[in-house]
Amino acid sequence: MSIKSILIANRGEIAIRIVRTCKIMGIETWGIKTSAEPTAHYLTHVDKIFDMSDEYPEVLVFLDVEKLMNIIKETGVDGVHPGYGFLAENAYFAQRCISEGVKFIGPSPDVIHKMGNKTVARQIATKHDIPLASGTTHTIRDAAEAKKVADKIGYPVIIKAASGGGGRGMRIIHKAEELAQMFRLATNEAEKAFNDPSVFIEKYIQNPKHIEFQILADSHGNVVHLGERECSIQRKHQKLIEEAPSPALTPELRKIMGDTAVRIAEIVKYESAGTVEFLLDQNNDFYFMEMNTRIQVEHPVTEMITGIDLIKEQIRVANGEKLTVTQKDIKLNGWAIECRINAEDVQARFSPYLGTIEKMVLPVGENIRVDSGVIEGDSISPNFDSMIAKLIVWGEDRQTAIKETKKALNKLWIKGLKTTTPFFKTVLNNESFNCGTFTTSFIETELEVMHESNEEEEVLAAWFATLKYIDEREKDTLDQVDYEQGKNINPWVLNKRLKSF
Amino acid sequence: MITELKEKRQMRFGRNSKKELKKLIAVNTKRKKFEFTLPFSEHLNLNGKESEVLIKEDEKHGTYLLWKNKKYPVEVIYKNQNRYEILLNGISYIYTVETPTSYKRMRFLASKSESKKNENLEAPMPGKIVEILTEEGRDVRAGEPLLILEAMKMQNEIQAPISGHIKKIYIKQGQSVLKDDLMVEIHVGK
Amino acid sequence: MDTNGKLFKKFLERENKISDQFSSENAKKQHAKGKLTARERIDLLFDKDTFEEIDAFVTPATITSKFGKITESYGDGVIVGHGKISGRLVFNYAQDFTVMGGSLGTVHAQKIAKIQKMALKMGAPIIGLIDSGGARIQEGIASLAGYATIFKNNINSSGVIPQISVIMGPAAGGAVYSPALTDFIFMTNKTSYMFVTGPSVVKEVLNEDVTDDELGGAMVHCKKSGVAQMMFEDEEQTLQGVRKLLTYMPSNNMENPPVILNPDEIPEFNEKVRDIVPDDPNKPYDVKEVINQIVDPNTFYETSENFAQNIVVGFARLNGNTIGIVANQPKVLAGTIDINSSIKGARFIRFCDAFNIPLLTLEDVPGFLPGVDQEHMGIIRNGAKMLYAYTEANVPKITVILRKSYGGAYIVMNSKNIGGDFNFAWPTAEIAVMGPDGAVAIIYKRDLAASDDPVTLKKELVKTYRDEIANPYIADEKGYIDEVIDPAITRKKLIVAFEALQNKHVATPAKKHGNIPL
Repeated sequence: MSIKSILIANRGEIAIRIVRTCKIMGIETWGIKTSAEPTAHYLTHVDKIFDMSDEYPEVLVFLDVEKLMNIIKETGVDGVHPGYGFLAENAYFAQRCISEGVKFIGPSPDVIHKMGNKTVARQIATKHDIPLASGTTHTIRDAAEAKKVADKIGYPVIIKAASGGGGRGMRIIHKAEELAQMFRLATNEAEKAFNDPSVFIEKYIQNPKHIEFQILADSHGNVVHLGERECSIQRKHQKLIEEAPSPALTPELRKIMGDTAVRIAEIVKYESAGTVEFLLDQNNDFYFMEMNTRIQVEHPVTEMITGIDLIKEQIRVANGEKLTVTQKDIKLNGWAIECRINAEDVQARFSPYLGTIEKMVLPVGENIRVDSGVIEGDSISPNFDSMIAKLIVWGEDRQTAIKETKKALNKLWIKGLKTTTPFFKTVLNNESFNCGTFTTSFIETELEVMHESNEEEEVLAAWFATLKYIDEREKDTLDQVDYEQGKNINPWVLNKRLKSF
Repeated sequence: MITELKEKRQMRFGRNSKKELKKLIAVNTKRKKFEFTLPFSEHLNLNGKESEVLIKEDEKHGTYLLWKNKKYPVEVIYKNQNRYEILLNGISYIYTVETPTSYKRMRFLASKSESKKNENLEAPMPGKIVEILTEEGRDVRAGEPLLILEAMKMQNEIQAPISGHIKKIYIKQGQSVLKDDLMVEIHVGK
Repeated sequence: MDTNGKLFKKFLERENKISDQFSSENAKKQHAKGKLTARERIDLLFDKDTFEEIDAFVTPATITSKFGKITESYGDGVIVGHGKISGRLVFNYAQDFTVMGGSLGTVHAQKIAKIQKMALKMGAPIIGLIDSGGARIQEGIASLAGYATIFKNNINSSGVIPQISVIMGPAAGGAVYSPALTDFIFMTNKTSYMFVTGPSVVKEVLNEDVTDDELGGAMVHCKKSGVAQMMFEDEEQTLQGVRKLLTYMPSNNMENPPVILNPDEIPEFNEKVRDIVPDDPNKPYDVKEVINQIVDPNTFYETSENFAQNIVVGFARLNGNTIGIVANQPKVLAGTIDINSSIKGARFIRFCDAFNIPLLTLEDVPGFLPGVDQEHMGIIRNGAKMLYAYTEANVPKITVILRKSYGGAYIVMNSKNIGGDFNFAWPTAEIAVMGPDGAVAIIYKRDLAASDDPVTLKKELVKTYRDEIANPYIADEKGYIDEVIDPAITRKKLIVAFEALQNKHVATPAKKHGNIPL
């Protein structure tokens, strides 16, 4: 039985993106109205609204499994799309949906669990000879053992906290002499941060590229890949620019990596859309990193070059239908670049910039796609991510795509907030970006400034500041003060006032 | 008459203008100065090329500058006394606008070896850290929100008392603090 | 008159001497310190060519003792006179640091006293530009007596004419009490300071090293001590700030404040106001955004901006008329009332009341700030100050309850029963004895303890409390609120209400003066 109505357990641009496909497929959509943003733009797109705006929960509803289960019951939907983030990769939530007899649009809870756990995923990969950065799958007890392992796999190595994340408890070791001290530092830090001193060692891949493959799989055992996405422009593991395909991949390499990605999906009996992430080193050796079991933020670049609607495929797969395409049908056509326009202060280390979007003019064009969850007058609040829009531009080749993206960025007009736009302009003009040789250390090594500014704009700004100053001072000076009107007191008041002294 | 004066952009400041003000100086945070002679001109001279700047406004774009056939979105995003933060084409510039006299004073005060004081931000009341809005190593300006402290069921924005950079953050999100607990260390100067 | 004759020549000679005294030599000394001369300051303060000096040629008192000497000079280190600011008569004295360090001798004091008395006679504001080393040691007791006279005049004029002190250099020792007695103190950052005992004494007595600026600079007084209200980065802006402040004030306590109509039409319906206060009662916001959306554009002039920031006070214009605004600031200390904010609010309210400036209160207050500190330092007597000031004030008083309004703090913030003329509330208002959590915890203590699921029960009870008690409609029905209004029409409502109140007069019982809990 196919899905007739969907609860979108998400907000913002991805909610709107899901609605768009549902409209085409004739599926009814339900959105959730929260007290955190009762006037959010996505609510104007959904067919029906479940209103929770009179509750002020400590945990946002999109993260609250029990509440969502309630909503599912009350709305009577037969499918749930989790979008990305929130509960999108939560096996428990997926399981609860299934137990409730509702279709969870995504892979099975079992797959979500396997791929979500680093060590399990690593073990599966090892078992099936998927290339992995060499290292240990067990915990290293002391510095002596660490040295033994490191000597075997060769320097540089990286020590990672077993229960870690976010760079803490992580140390890169280039020489054997450093190992003992770094081991101590890493365990101390891991202990402090995660209450667990256990660490493991991995070969450190120097200056890799982040390459990920979009795959699609149905319940009939069909798996295809839709080519790769290049996501090496990152800051603190936060992707900023994504493109498809990658300038680093030859057709041969694409085939090998794509086949590997498909194989991983086959091994775990994957269903729905997913992403297999690899690191690619300078010798074109690649290593499996992890698999994301959800629709990705950057999915539009793949859609742009393949013409396949990924959300539609997700829903079809959830319905138990077969994929519409086979690997042969998939042709990568042209080049697509996505810039994440976030409300962030590029001049202050990309910190979120809160405020109201006063004016927003988005570029339009045949080869331009903008996915946005906000409109003029909306605020960027600390409750949610700082994304304003995703700007996706297609060109017949990379150079054209870059050129067109630059043009589109110049047409993008946002007032009221600081955005990442100046950063993208800088990157797109960067030589290393243009020749495609950049790696994940691009921002640290290739960019001196995060934003380009020229002397003309600096002078113009100074001119404008001075003008504002003059206007204000002039206004103060020229204020025509009418003292007579103030003195013109009603005799009744004056009389009383005089008598009261 | 008022509009006429405005058009000429005559600077008087209601002062006894024995000495008519001849210029204004915009100074950026790196002490780079941009001089503008008075009466203020819409013609901006840069690298020998002179061109008129037009201030335009429409419903779709809001206010923008039109200069050499190019549009620049522009807005004042922060203002305090003579300090202006201008967001032009997505990039912010901070200037203080000085008269020749105040510019001299500024130079004089800067030349005096300023005592570089650091500030330890302590919790003004017991509560729970709801959110940290900054990170170590960041430059902050006085009044910028640093963290949200929840006390008595109310969220309070804790602001930077001085301009400087965040040397160290002693607290974690979700942590409870007592009154006068050290939360953030801010250093002045590099 | 024969302009070549002896009589006229003598006159010219004198005129020349005085211009020599204000030669560039002395000016250079001031400029080298980053300061302006007294004359330059006066030029900046007054409208062009309007300042008239008096007593320019007085000479210092002669001293008989052999201790120290007195420099020959005209004017004795102070310039006094009157002029026009935005076209209105204002009296002024400006101490001249280049003459004997601006020290206060007998003649110097007499000049200031004379102009103070004149200002009071004419019912015109007086501004003191202070840049003085303090009492002139050489003249001994006479200079102290001089200060005493000045203080006495300050107090006599208090509440009759606006008095403003502008600190532009040192103000040390007893000299600080003249500014302290005036209505507003302005300071220039980094080049002005005020203290009763200077760094050298602190070093001697306590062996603590402290600079002038750390002990009594503008930053200290505007932020920590609350002694000064306004701080600016340079002297031009400081004086510009004084000029601006004056446009909100009447010349004396008999007049009404001046009216400055806004040239642009302001829409009566402003949807933006609806979006500022978050529905979530625990979320902070900036009350200044509310103020700026309600009053005439760009007319809000905040005083004591950096001191006790949990309350916001300042002047603004509503339809051209000056009003004084007192607003709780939810973004600092959740807008609770503490000792400092009560004192700050009370002093501002009393200024407005003395000078016929109507008061607007924007209320979002969860209560008084709890704590051992506060109780031990006397939040009782200090909190009473604002209560007293509000109740005592008989100018038109309007309150708008934006959100929270709980307990004792509700009463203090110009509630209906202490004399609010019009009390409005927004639909977001919560008016009650205490917040939902506290109320539920007290009333249902046993039920909660006995419950299997206290969290759910508490949530339900909180919801019931909000529906039944903590909302604006109960108060509206009982008449403690005059009307619950749509935030978008707040401005219009206020204009109409203040207009209706413009002839307000309340007779107070005859008394010498009340006894405000100081």
